[in-house]
Amino acid sequence: MTEKVKVRIDGEVIAATAGQTILEVARTNNKYIPALCYMEGLSTVGACRLCMVEVSGVSRLLPACTTPIQEGLAVATTSPQLESYRKMALELLFAERNHVCAVCVSSGHCELQTLAQEHGVTSVRYPYSYPRLSVDTTHPRFVLDHNRCILCSRCVRTCAEVEGAHVWDVAGRGVGSRLVSELQRPWGESTSCTSCGKCVQACPTGAMAEKGWAVEEMTKRRAAVSRLTSMREGE
Amino acid sequence: MRIGDIAAFAEVREAGLAKLLPSRPRIAVGMGTCGSGNGAEAVYSAFSSEIDARGLAVQLAPVGCFGFCAEEPLVNVWVPGHPLLMLHGVQPNHVDGILNAIHNGTPPPAEIVLCKIEEWDHITGHVKYGTGYPDVPNWNEIPFFNGQVKTVLRNCGLINPDDIEEYIAVGGYQALYKVLIDQNPAGVIEQVKASKLRGRGGAGYLTGNKWEFLAKAPGPDKYLICNADEGDPGAYMNRNEIESDPHALLEGMAIAGYVTGASRGIIYVRAEYPLAVLRLERAIEQARASGLLGTNILGRGFDFDIETVEGAGAFVCGEETALIASLEDQSGRPRVRPPFPAQKGLLGKPTNINNVETWYNIAPIVTKGPAWFTETGSAKSAGTKVFSLVGKVKSTGLVEMPLGTPISTFIYAIGGGSSNGRDIKAVQTGGPSGGCIPADMFDTPVDYETLAQLGSIMGSGGMVVMDDDNCMVDVARYFIEFTQAESCGKCVPCRVGLDKALRILNGFTVGTATIADIAALDELCRMVRDTSLCGLGQSAPNPVLTSLRHFRNEFEDHIVAKRCRAGVCEDLAISPCENSCPLHMNIPRFLQLYKEGRLEDAFLSVILDNPLPASTGRVCQHPCDDHCRRAGLDESVNMRDVHRVIADEVLLSDKFDSLAARVAARKLEPTGREVAIIGAGPTGLTCAYYLALFGHSVTVFDSRPAAGGMLRYALPEYRLPKKVLDKEIELIERLGVKFQFNVSVGEETTLNDIAHQFDAVFMAIGTWKEAWVYLPGTELTGVMPALPFLEAVSREDPVPVGKNVVVIGGGNAAIDSARTARRLGAEVTVVYRRESKDMPAIPEEIEAAKHEGAKFVYLAAPHRIVGDGNGQVRALEAVRTKPGEFDTSGRRRPMPTDEVIRIDCDTVILAVGEKVDPDFCKASGLVLKEDGTIEVDRYSLESSRERFYAGGDLISGASNVSNAMGFGKKAARNIDKRLMGQKRFASLIPDFVYEMEPPSAPSECRRHVPGELPAAKRVGSYAEVSLGLTALAALEETSRCLRCDIRSTER
Amino acid sequence: MDKVRIGTCWLDGCSGCHMSLLDIDEGIVAVLRKADIVFGPLVDAQEWPEGVDVALVEGAVSSQDDLKLAQTLRSRSKIVVALGDCAVTGNVPSMRNGIPRRVLLERIYVEGATTCPGVPTDGVPALLKQAEPLHSAIKVDVHVPGCPPKPNAILMVLTDLLEGREPDLGSKLRFG
Repeated sequence: MTEKVKVRIDGEVIAATAGQTILEVARTNNKYIPALCYMEGLSTVGACRLCMVEVSGVSRLLPACTTPIQEGLAVATTSPQLESYRKMALELLFAERNHVCAVCVSSGHCELQTLAQEHGVTSVRYPYSYPRLSVDTTHPRFVLDHNRCILCSRCVRTCAEVEGAHVWDVAGRGVGSRLVSELQRPWGESTSCTSCGKCVQACPTGAMAEKGWAVEEMTKRRAAVSRLTSMREGE
Repeated sequence: MRIGDIAAFAEVREAGLAKLLPSRPRIAVGMGTCGSGNGAEAVYSAFSSEIDARGLAVQLAPVGCFGFCAEEPLVNVWVPGHPLLMLHGVQPNHVDGILNAIHNGTPPPAEIVLCKIEEWDHITGHVKYGTGYPDVPNWNEIPFFNGQVKTVLRNCGLINPDDIEEYIAVGGYQALYKVLIDQNPAGVIEQVKASKLRGRGGAGYLTGNKWEFLAKAPGPDKYLICNADEGDPGAYMNRNEIESDPHALLEGMAIAGYVTGASRGIIYVRAEYPLAVLRLERAIEQARASGLLGTNILGRGFDFDIETVEGAGAFVCGEETALIASLEDQSGRPRVRPPFPAQKGLLGKPTNINNVETWYNIAPIVTKGPAWFTETGSAKSAGTKVFSLVGKVKSTGLVEMPLGTPISTFIYAIGGGSSNGRDIKAVQTGGPSGGCIPADMFDTPVDYETLAQLGSIMGSGGMVVMDDDNCMVDVARYFIEFTQAESCGKCVPCRVGLDKALRILNGFTVGTATIADIAALDELCRMVRDTSLCGLGQSAPNPVLTSLRHFRNEFEDHIVAKRCRAGVCEDLAISPCENSCPLHMNIPRFLQLYKEGRLEDAFLSVILDNPLPASTGRVCQHPCDDHCRRAGLDESVNMRDVHRVIADEVLLSDKFDSLAARVAARKLEPTGREVAIIGAGPTGLTCAYYLALFGHSVTVFDSRPAAGGMLRYALPEYRLPKKVLDKEIELIERLGVKFQFNVSVGEETTLNDIAHQFDAVFMAIGTWKEAWVYLPGTELTGVMPALPFLEAVSREDPVPVGKNVVVIGGGNAAIDSARTARRLGAEVTVVYRRESKDMPAIPEEIEAAKHEGAKFVYLAAPHRIVGDGNGQVRALEAVRTKPGEFDTSGRRRPMPTDEVIRIDCDTVILAVGEKVDPDFCKASGLVLKEDGTIEVDRYSLESSRERFYAGGDLISGASNVSNAMGFGKKAARNIDKRLMGQKRFASLIPDFVYEMEPPSAPSECRRHVPGELPAAKRVGSYAEVSLGLTALAALEETSRCLRCDIRSTER
Repeated sequence: MDKVRIGTCWLDGCSGCHMSLLDIDEGIVAVLRKADIVFGPLVDAQEWPEGVDVALVEGAVSSQDDLKLAQTLRSRSKIVVALGDCAVTGNVPSMRNGIPRRVLLERIYVEGATTCPGVPTDGVPALLKQAEPLHSAIKVDVHVPGCPPKPNAILMVLTDLLEGREPDLGSKLRFG
């Protein structure tokens, strides 16, 4: 299973292990591909579409997080078109819900905010939806703010795959999709939640946070969740 | 009974044939969901009780649907030894007559007989019904069926779907038997590959290749899935296939099960198809009982079973990975591929998914071989495809055609063309994932590649035909509204991108969008297409992208002109009538003012919208009639004749002076700007009128001695009395418009001379040049073009018209010439090369010409004009034509035959089309189009030369009075805006205060039609034919208006 | 050479962006060498003047007055800069957008009032249905996000504009 293959990323020849995805190879070789729904140690879902890359010989764009590498694969991690599409995807996320960075506990430590900055998003050209969304404060230690949720499903996978509790899932369809805990029961009333807080650490934005922090104070230990799985793999 | 060997098979087959072709008459009622919806249940029970009551030896059976939806309910009647008769539009009250006919040995009443079938190729079997009924057309002689190749639908509407014996009787399950006997799975896969059969669900992947993947996948547990989650709006072929012939699906799947090594099949069918589910389940039970499903099938040691699973109707579950998720009791969201289902599908096992229709092609390929299959269809797209042809065509229904058939065949030949006489504009293929193809591309062959090149897809085979009443922006908006609601929400581009695309599109339909929104929408849709996770998001933008590509003008209209030509986007119009009027008259307003007894206000309302209301009240082509919502109740409101009455009551009475003064009082302050108008026809007059109201100084130049253009010199006195026109022109003169007659631009003066003297120039010359036909004999004495003929008559110049006149052409000029020649005492024959319904002239005018004694010869193309020794016309020779293929105008092209006819005559009037004579703008630097018309900006009407505007026939080619005036009005608004730097049109119209409550109950009056002079009195007289409405009739007519201009304020 | 005419205004915002503008410290000297501030909270002018070169707009468009001022300044200014998150994204003022206006006003001025309950109508501009970013009301040429934008970012934008360059904000600014 440790067959070695050679791929080319942005022109550079890289040796990789068969079975790895383009994103894994890129990240381990310090090639940057943006992503929001991807998190090391979790299964991949290919939902945010920020990691789309160009693969030579393939007319369609491919998601780096789910596309396995093959011998001789040549990948371009960026291009004017990819850059424009990534910017659009980020703007769409900002326009979908009420991401008011100025009053967010995660401001300054938010993956969405950081990506927007990195990609030069200085305004959003799409009309804002301004949906009226709730904030679930029923859990004694944590809070879920739907206004800031981007439906990346990292919490869903963390809870199901790492903690094994499967408290979270996504209900509904289209822009009406909502993160739900236990068949729409409030988080605090969830019987399967172990209050381990790994979902909070996995959340890329301020949608899930610990209680008691003020603006810009909530930092997250995402690596801790990833480390857990890699340690288990070593077992 | 379990079928274990060939003898048992033959036995069942005999039993089935005895039901299908019994020794007594058989009546079969088409009872799909479609038939039942049209009353087939009642027809069936009426037959049943009547047969019982009479004690008749008649067999009654339900069958599926034969596909002709527009003619439901369909009933088959077969009497032994005779052809199968297909009856259409059958109602319970026909039952008696049908049974009597069977009893008496006569055919059923002719009006319900559609066609006959003498023998039928079920492909896997053949049935001979009998011969006879020479007067009844064969099924494929009916235009709707002509050219159809029923492979998939081979049994639909002919056998009882609930009876496995009938399926076996027509050759069913023989292909499965053959495959099991041959024991060569790889050979079957090769056959399917060689047939080039492609997935009929839309993506068009080669079925044989997919099977091969599955066959090669390791492990004993493999699944076959039939995707029957048909969710495209307007597509229902899968439903019909299952309802009419469920066993063919089971057989296809069982064959695949054997050759790929799968032991379980699942049919994922929408719960919204209860009848299909029921029939499928019955079929599965019967197949199991007969040993055709389950263990040890046909005694050959092969195990395969099928179950149905009902899907809850999420559109995204048509996507294969979402469908699998749904089957696994997960929420129906797609997963990323790879891994592909053939590697890791249902429950992680190798899985193959095919669309319903794909499975129906399997048994025929196995039975007849791949070579037979590839005989039909195009090189890359073999076989047939079932399409649901719906929308604005006469004949709607399920149509199975060879792939590669041109779109025009579907729409004009099979569909019978427009259902309501309007121009067909586009066809939408492939449902919400497809795109719109414009009418000028209807010669496109329907196959996977070609449709994809146009930005559309084949999809599951939906074909929605659209006409001028469909707004392409609204169509795009509708499909995006559908897909954004059906998006599963997993990936960002589809979830949020479609929602934002919908918001942008909504902006177009309410008039708040900007021109930058077109580019933003285009860019966003490309992003959604290129980056979405599954097929739903990747194809959802197609309707928008194709509309932007082929119908960009409509998007621009919604923004720049704030107009929806189709009248669908209600926020952009006052009412449907206003929207359709080239002058955008506020029709409900003048109707209401007249209804309130306020003649003077009504007149003011009319004349400020339309400076020639009495003329247009007589000769307008009244598009308002075609869009009036009252037509849905009984007939449209006669708006044109009401404004004629309003205009006549003022213009032709002593009220004229005071009303002319009221109009003049609306003039804005003099601006000191000077505008020249070239051409005093309806376009020029309209523009002059409004520019004068705006306070500009206007001079109109015309080469003729009086104003009016075509209205004066081409429209005969009997249609438009000149005293009426004179009053309208007098009113325009009273506003200060100056006329310079007998000045021909290009001769006495040039455009460049005029340019020096004026701040702006509006050019509005008519189409006075007759398009000359290159016909031997046009040089003979007695040959004349229509317009000079009509002009000479109107000037009362002597006209050399003989006793026998032939008019060549079918437009209004031809009919005017014919009727005028009748009034000059000649016998008249109109010769037209196409069919009568193709004539472009106003139908009422054609009728009137016939009443006045003009003769019409259709399908005759002039060949030469025969002269005598003195160079005088003696006859016209014409070649008989026959209707050929449909051209892009939707009319059949006239094809010459060998037959030549000769019509003796001494005069030939040529009326084959009029053109612009662009000589006047020589050396002016104006850019002309190929047809000689002037190129202008669509919205401002400004030509390539600054401050030079053009309108009317000069930019559109020969059209009609109201269209021409519409251009004049639009030009005036734009010239004023240009000269004054602001929009001032609204300030010309006073605030009319009138009732703004809709009538509680609309008047029950029928439409009032003006009386006419009797035909006998018309010939030999130029008296006006139409007598106009009486004041009372006009008043009653106004109360018929439903007041579509009033909107609910509760929003 | 004529001085560049700068106008600033403050729609639905907290004045933080103007504070940040003042925080450019000695940078203001360099700016004022090339420019005059002809309108703004710091200038005694009643109406947005004609012929403004650069308009710095703080705040979301939230009321009829905001909308009118935005339209006026657009028609009288060459370059319009949306200054700060409220003008760029709607930010905090837009947090009311999910709540119907009537409900909102009742909640604050009736239910939440300790004295004289009642929704004010006289002398106050009507609220728009939603507080929206400036670019949804008028065309905006430059967006400067931040809550507030960093003083050096504002200085950089002003310097670029005064020198006739299009500001290249690249990845220097973030929301919040």
